[in-house]
Amino acid sequence: MKTIPPPCPEPETTKYFRSIESLENSPEARAWVDREFPAGASENEGDFNRRDFMKLMSASMALAGAGILGSGCRKPEQHIYPFAKLPDDYVHGVSKFYATAFPTRNGAIPLLVKSHEGRPTKVEGNPEHPDSNGGTDVFAQASILSLYDPDRAQFNGPREAALTKLGDIATKFSANQGAGLAFLLERGTSPSRNRLQLAIQQKFSAAKFYAYEPVDFDIHRQAATTAVGRSVTPYFKYDQAKAILSLDCDFLGGDGESHLNMRDFSKSRRASKDAMNRLYVAEALMSQTGMSADHRLRVPSSQVIAIAAAIAAKLVAGFDASKIPLPAGVDAKWVEECANDLKAGGATSLVVAGYRQPLAVHLLAHAINGALGALGKTVEFRETPDLKEQGIAALAESLNKGEVDTLVILGGNPVYNAPADLNWAVTQRKAKTVVRLGYYEDETSAVADLNLPAAHYLESWGDVKTADGTTVIVQPLIQPLFGGLTELEVLARIGGLAEMDAYKITRETSGLGEEAWKKALHDGFVANTASKPVAVTFNPAVLAPALASVTVSAPSKENLEVIFARDYSVDDGRWANNGWLVEVPDPVTKMTWDNAVLVSRKTAEELGVKNTQFVELALAGKTVRAPVWVVPGMANHTLGLPLGFGRAKGGRIANFNGKQVGFDFYPLRNAANQGFAIGAKISPVAEQYSFACTQDHWSLEGRPIIREIIPKQVGDPKAVEAMDFPPPPGGNQSLYPNPFDAIKAKGLHQWGMAIDLNTCVGCNACVIACQSENNVPVVGKDQVRRGREMLWLRIDRYFTGTPAAEKIRSEKNEVLQPDWDQYKQTWIDDPQVVTQPMMCQHCEAAPCESVCPVNATVHDEEGLNLMVYNRCVGTRYCSNNCPWKVRRFNYFDYTKRPITNLYKPTLTFKPTKPEDEFELLKLARNPDVTVRMRGVMEKCTFCVQRIEGAKIAQKVKAGQSADVIVRDGTIKTACQQACPAESITFGDINDPKSAVSLAKADSRNYTTLEFLYTKPRLTYLARVRNQNEKMPDYHPMPFTSQVYSDHSGGHESGGGHGGGTNGAPKKEGAPH
Amino acid sequence: MSDVFPKWTNTLPLKVALGVALTGALVTAGAWYYLTPKYSRVGYQPTQPVHFSHAIHAGQLGMDCRYCHSTVDKSWYANVPAANVCMNCHNTVLKDDPRLALIRDSAATGKPVPWVQIHRTPDYAYFNHAVHVTRGVSCVECHGRIDQMEEVAQVKPLHMAFCLDCHRNPAMAIRPADKVTDLAFKWDNDPEQAALKQKLFGEKAVHDWKIQSQENCSACHR
Repeated sequence: MKTIPPPCPEPETTKYFRSIESLENSPEARAWVDREFPAGASENEGDFNRRDFMKLMSASMALAGAGILGSGCRKPEQHIYPFAKLPDDYVHGVSKFYATAFPTRNGAIPLLVKSHEGRPTKVEGNPEHPDSNGGTDVFAQASILSLYDPDRAQFNGPREAALTKLGDIATKFSANQGAGLAFLLERGTSPSRNRLQLAIQQKFSAAKFYAYEPVDFDIHRQAATTAVGRSVTPYFKYDQAKAILSLDCDFLGGDGESHLNMRDFSKSRRASKDAMNRLYVAEALMSQTGMSADHRLRVPSSQVIAIAAAIAAKLVAGFDASKIPLPAGVDAKWVEECANDLKAGGATSLVVAGYRQPLAVHLLAHAINGALGALGKTVEFRETPDLKEQGIAALAESLNKGEVDTLVILGGNPVYNAPADLNWAVTQRKAKTVVRLGYYEDETSAVADLNLPAAHYLESWGDVKTADGTTVIVQPLIQPLFGGLTELEVLARIGGLAEMDAYKITRETSGLGEEAWKKALHDGFVANTASKPVAVTFNPAVLAPALASVTVSAPSKENLEVIFARDYSVDDGRWANNGWLVEVPDPVTKMTWDNAVLVSRKTAEELGVKNTQFVELALAGKTVRAPVWVVPGMANHTLGLPLGFGRAKGGRIANFNGKQVGFDFYPLRNAANQGFAIGAKISPVAEQYSFACTQDHWSLEGRPIIREIIPKQVGDPKAVEAMDFPPPPGGNQSLYPNPFDAIKAKGLHQWGMAIDLNTCVGCNACVIACQSENNVPVVGKDQVRRGREMLWLRIDRYFTGTPAAEKIRSEKNEVLQPDWDQYKQTWIDDPQVVTQPMMCQHCEAAPCESVCPVNATVHDEEGLNLMVYNRCVGTRYCSNNCPWKVRRFNYFDYTKRPITNLYKPTLTFKPTKPEDEFELLKLARNPDVTVRMRGVMEKCTFCVQRIEGAKIAQKVKAGQSADVIVRDGTIKTACQQACPAESITFGDINDPKSAVSLAKADSRNYTTLEFLYTKPRLTYLARVRNQNEKMPDYHPMPFTSQVYSDHSGGHESGGGHGGGTNGAPKKEGAPH
Repeated sequence: MSDVFPKWTNTLPLKVALGVALTGALVTAGAWYYLTPKYSRVGYQPTQPVHFSHAIHAGQLGMDCRYCHSTVDKSWYANVPAANVCMNCHNTVLKDDPRLALIRDSAATGKPVPWVQIHRTPDYAYFNHAVHVTRGVSCVECHGRIDQMEEVAQVKPLHMAFCLDCHRNPAMAIRPADKVTDLAFKWDNDPEQAALKQKLFGEKAVHDWKIQSQENCSACHR
């Protein structure tokens, strides 16, 4: 209660006053008191006084407030800009496919490229092509990103001025028949380029053409030509071969047209008891082909000739191998039994030699094939034009003599990758004028006078011949983004030829009429242009001269052999600025963003080198400083040097953060020994390097995640099913009913996938295809080191030692040693390797779905595990709960933020990629897939955009009918489409006749981690090892099965809980 | 000891809590009402660069929606027509009318007319027009009586709940294919009869055409 003070009494006696004036009570005083405010403080006499000001301001504020609440805070206006004149067949939102081809060194991959709104967004293979199943390789898939590379070369100055200069060259050399004009080309099979070359040679008879590829497959053509006496290229038919011997030939990994090799090899690999092929590999490095081998012999590259000779001695009548004895350390029985198996195969056997091997080895291979009767059966020969270009060594000689006035370099990067003893940077400068057509501003363009930006093949008109001789017209999907030029245009202009337009040149070469031309463009190939194989016989007289100069060396600790290998990610360095390729894990080492000196365990031990330790590698007077990486299964005293890294000037990925990415081994490579060389010395340096490797643990530890069987077990479902961790006590049951079972009935289709491990070689084409289709970002080496690589699909690769070695491993308890000491363990010397593509398994009882607090990951009625990006708050509980760890989290805004500086705060640092990069990369994105921001989980969706697209297309077609089931084969997920070996099958498991249902019905079908009872929709088909019982390295069970068997005490499930128990089966429920 | 706190602080926490709760409720209610699509999008009627009247063209003249929005049954995107479609008639009709100046300029120079987009859904929601239009969902279900609008306004909120209302009960929105662009179509003048006829036809269509209006997330979220 408030207390009220008593009223103050009025003083009666004293009168208080404030001033004299107030006491006086004069009129002025009264006036003063009456006025509330002194003069001047009240209203202005003028127009706009304070009151008006207040009125106005408050009214405006009120209106603004009202405006904000009302119409002022509406969404900003977005505009629609239609065409002014709609192009004839343009339907916005529906993508189109155009047929073209990805040119390779000695062939091409026929493609159908998906175009969205006038720009290409995804590369796919063209199954209509007579020699293609629609598969592509990893480079073709990644090439789309290179189209939108912000580091692409552009014209420095007006385009017309540069073209005029080319015309001037033509004029200049018209006077003297082209004396002093030299061309340095890359290998290619373009009929138009060949025609222009011949035309120029006719016009400028003194002009010279040279060809150079640091990784050159032309040896196959040269060897075949020498062997049979006419200009032919071999076409290996791995699908016809039952026994294959690879002499250091990585045909599945990158020697020649590996996408065709994978396709053919997998055809006869698809298991059936009798018809499976058998692969013998003799190699030094662990290669992709070695990973698929049934029998593998580790031998230095320089000793492969001895093996070839030993086999030839057994199979080729009259061949004497006494001058090339088998070196000590090479198992003679291995060679003998291999020869016996080849002999037994007869015309179904095949011997191939790798591109790094000298001519003699190739000739021996052809001799053996000839003796077996395989020529024309497992290897065909097709006539090839021989344009008689000389090599780069001859060009260097010519330059040094001062004979070259104008050197025109089309493509390539000789300053970076020319043989070191040619000292190319200086030598190239000896030409008076250097004209360079290049894709980037790189090492070579720094030593050139006129730099012309090259057009990407997706921007070019041209033609190529695929390996079977079929002509494919290369048509552009977009105008050259930076005004680039094609080789044809440059050649035509320098030659001063009449026709300078690439389209017209190509049209002219084809000789096709209007209808035939349109059909060729539509189909993606020119009908009936495949070359016919020619009948050949091997000419034995070529062997003696080739073998005369052969020496078999014995590399040792002081005299190491170095092998210059084509890198699986960046090739010879041309893809060093492609973020996808640089970040995709190497199939063998699982290394990203780097290369290393690859070495075997024993050799590293002998040299006193630790894994990731730096060494100084000296060869032929040059030294390179690089770190070492121990690779299981490498031959001793050999060093693998993957080429293509350590670029001095390649762009923002090749020189990430201004620093060198990887190590440059080209300085060690001389012209005489471009494949491998002897005589290297290593001295360790006391410094370690930090690699970003995505798979650190090498062993499967006997877990039946990847299952292998032998041919006689094919057809027996128990063989594969039995290999599993035992189910929980009581068997596999659910406590609660699965909510999915209730909605399953509503689904018109039920999606499932099967991956055949028998045909997968681990080439990474599917990984890049997925990245391309689903807008998966590149994160940079630092983030990969933290395990934050964003690839939705990963290929797990495991090594398993021989049973004897694995026994030692368990006795020594090596599994308890940390991963960084794995390289010291002896079991890695002679391993078998398995690979497994791993992505979201789309479990029917998904552990990730039940733990999402915001229901961002749910299951649809057709069996897909869905990811709703806008609902995800980034708890990451789903990834935590996933047993396969296939979910990827966006820790940063990889799309918008520059990946060189992810940790800088937004306020003080410009948070976006440079504008040119961001705007260009936008074009590479697939508009059908959401681009994810920071804080959101993502994972394989089984290409839900393709599934829904197909369902919608079917419904639109059905209209008011019930024909809404999508036909089998309509939907191909990106990974399935890209795989040249057709390992991945996807489709409707509701349909018993669909390809995927048949695959899942196969006896080899199994589920990984089946004991968890999550019921994945993705299952695998077990790998089959087809070993020869007579071989010395024969073992009755594949190594992984043997280790599994040893760990689990037998094949029967229930025979022990988990791994690590040996001995008798335990009773269920018994403690262990 | 004298009171450390004045008496009025006794009820202060209660008053603060009530105040906060009340403010929270008001803010929530305000946001719920004013900031959700039903209020913020419905009625959006921006001024277009060219005063095109659907009431005249689609209503009075009876032009079919698909004459201009030609890809609505082929693609996810219902296109705004190119200027040459307008010029099909307007190169003779109202040939020099100043209101059509922008259209004529566009057709002549190739510069697109900057129409203001009215119906927008977020980028992560992938809506496909073709499958709806070809399967019997009329334009009027989502766009309202466009044929009576002088200036197009958004009449439906197009938020996910709106889509789900129909996806959960497609029978209420399916009509015969030839009536999809007939915005004035009514089964019957009597609303009860109309609802009954719609239900009968809709349910039959859903059954016969195997209409599977998906309620799972993959329908729109890719």
